[in-house]
Amino acid sequence: MSHHIGETCDGCGACVRMCPTGAVTGAKKTRHAIAAELCIECGACGRICPRGAVTDAFGIPCEAVRRSAWDKPRFDAGRCVSCGICIDACPARCLGLSEALQRERHALPFLAEEKNCLGCGFCVRECPMMAISMEGLKK
Amino acid sequence: MGKGYMGKILRVDLGTREIREGALPEAFYERHLAGQGLAARLLSEEIPAGADPRGPGNVLAFAAGILTGTGSLFAGRWTVAGKSPLTGGWGDANAGGTFAPAIKRCGYDAILFRGASEAPVYLYVRNGSAELRDAADLWGRDTTDAEEALAARHGPGARVAAIGPAGEKRSLLAGISNDRGRIAARSGLGAVMGSKQLKAVVLDGNLRIPVHDRSEIKRLSEGCNRWVRLQPPFLPGPAAAYVGSLMRMLPMQMAQDGLLYKILLKKWGTVSMNQMSVEMGDAPVRNWLGSSADWPPAKSLSVNPDAVIAREQRKYHCYSCPLGCGGICRTARFAETHKPEYETVLALGALCMNGDLDSICDLNERLNRAGMDTISAGGTVAFAIECYENGLLTKADTDGLDLTWGNTAAVVALVGKMISREGIGDLLADGTRAAAARIGKGAEQFAVHAGGQELPMHDGRNDPGYALHYAAEPTPGRHTLGSQMYYEMFQLWRKAKDLPSPAPLYFKGRKYDPSPEKAVMAAACTRYMNVANGAGLCLFGLFLGAHRIPVFDWLNAATGWQRSPEEYLALGGEIQTIKQRFNIAHGIDPASVSLPGRALGRPPQQEGANRGRTVEIEEMRGGYWREFGWDPQTGRPPETGKAESGSSSAM
Repeated sequence: MSHHIGETCDGCGACVRMCPTGAVTGAKKTRHAIAAELCIECGACGRICPRGAVTDAFGIPCEAVRRSAWDKPRFDAGRCVSCGICIDACPARCLGLSEALQRERHALPFLAEEKNCLGCGFCVRECPMMAISMEGLKK
Repeated sequence: MGKGYMGKILRVDLGTREIREGALPEAFYERHLAGQGLAARLLSEEIPAGADPRGPGNVLAFAAGILTGTGSLFAGRWTVAGKSPLTGGWGDANAGGTFAPAIKRCGYDAILFRGASEAPVYLYVRNGSAELRDAADLWGRDTTDAEEALAARHGPGARVAAIGPAGEKRSLLAGISNDRGRIAARSGLGAVMGSKQLKAVVLDGNLRIPVHDRSEIKRLSEGCNRWVRLQPPFLPGPAAAYVGSLMRMLPMQMAQDGLLYKILLKKWGTVSMNQMSVEMGDAPVRNWLGSSADWPPAKSLSVNPDAVIAREQRKYHCYSCPLGCGGICRTARFAETHKPEYETVLALGALCMNGDLDSICDLNERLNRAGMDTISAGGTVAFAIECYENGLLTKADTDGLDLTWGNTAAVVALVGKMISREGIGDLLADGTRAAAARIGKGAEQFAVHAGGQELPMHDGRNDPGYALHYAAEPTPGRHTLGSQMYYEMFQLWRKAKDLPSPAPLYFKGRKYDPSPEKAVMAAACTRYMNVANGAGLCLFGLFLGAHRIPVFDWLNAATGWQRSPEEYLALGGEIQTIKQRFNIAHGIDPASVSLPGRALGRPPQQEGANRGRTVEIEEMRGGYWREFGWDPQTGRPPETGKAESGSSSAM
């Protein structure tokens, strides 16, 4: 299961810069391709593509969204158990651990590198405690 | 690609520098799981009989468990396995931190190294693309220093497991460290890595880990976490010692529910037991010759749990752990250091009669950085002290150190020499068995090891289950496979209906009765731990009890299999037989592995918590081996056929 780049691709390279696993390759100004074995279906290529050339694993065209409007994770400190699963799951490595909180000295995850967040929601998907939700500006 | 597992392994030949991928069929995982089970099966086939553990013929495996990365809790342990240079037989060790999911996120369940490099190298893997790189600039640097250098080079996503000077110098006590001091320390496998001139493994992966039913896993994890969250107030640290005192004085004891231990772990970590264990007779004192009477609460007050966590800046959670028994501490010497574990505090403390907590914290960090096992290091120091006290070593031998009981400065200096292999440190850096052989003059009587591995800080004279597992395992001298108390805490009878439930209250003397039922219980512990080590689970999670931590349900949800707890436990037994066969093939005579008399109460102690206690190890061991279908006298699995079929247990 993998995303796919269609014929309307003009080889601008925006998706190459976005892809966290290095799955997208292609010469400049030629149609790019996604290596299926490396694609993790984060959808960043589809959201960034100005040509609407990317389809998801089901063949549905992805819609480009202004980067600043991409959803970001929001953490519920009351539910979080500091297990670090979200930090590991983040393909963009943009989550970090806070300083220790005063009471029990457990550190909590937070969005440390906001500009790198892909809005993929993998942290939400993998959080075992359902302590994360995606929020952001609506398109 | 399978479900829960990645379905691929990476093979690296350090001699030819060839790197290639291999696939494993689903049937393989169904039979051996991943993690330690995977390693046991593959390495049994790939390490030639009689191979030199520190030679190119040994194969070293870094493996992750099936549940790691699936949303299961407590699934952050990775396993390193190979032929142990310390015992000469099967060797494995595991550690927490964040390295376990990194193996799978690179696309593999395991990475296997064979051969030996001619110059120092490290392996760098980025999402299925692997290469060997020059490590000349890293050789000689400690584990944390090397890890930081590699993280700076490869970015924040890089996860590093490295050896330190101990592994480079091929010390038999060497382990492999990740996350700045989580260390897979036992079995001496750091020396194998050193012999291959493999300084580090660097993994930078962000691939998806496939899961059959993630929502079911989450549902199970939420249920499990409710028990982890349950945290009523508990006594202050110094008062915890007297819980142990009370347990010592009472003629009876209750079957333990691990929920109590969970509360202690969450509040303090394993150091919660620093004083309590001595008081109840669980912790050895003065190289196993002393007792609770030699190390009363007034003396051990300096290492009470509150004193340790007074240094703690924040809790440390391994990957996927909701408990957080670890801690990051600040000491006068180190701005950040992992909180020492119970084993470390006792091995470098009561075992050597050293009550100085600052020295223990600093030695913990120094040993982690050196990549040396704190249990074996402490056991070896205690051995050296006893040799010195009995005139087998003199000041001329010890480079002027006055190795007397409780001499903190001498303990610190000696560990430093062991790390650098200077002077007497070179003699001791390979552990008690090797040192005793070199010293001669009857020094072996002071060497407290099983099959070459120094005994951990749990006394079989208090819980004979520990003594049994120390003596009867393919990996002798290990405390993480079973004990009578573990069986009580695992509460497996709630899942596998034919397993016996222990009496809720019993006279302590019953612990020493080598009944067939105890053999069934001990074998069940081992089977369960073999499943857990194949799943990548942490022992401390299992202490919650099988009705609170859904190990078998998680496995089914992750893989899509529909197997019963009994089927999983039977599989754990088969893994045990694979490890035992490995030892037989490599010339180990299981019946020749013995514990020193002092660890068995031969002669019995005259005072303290375990006075008058003797462990009937031979009878216990025979019954235990019989449970796996092995010969009760020799410990040998049958030559042909399925070993488990001979089991008399209810499996």
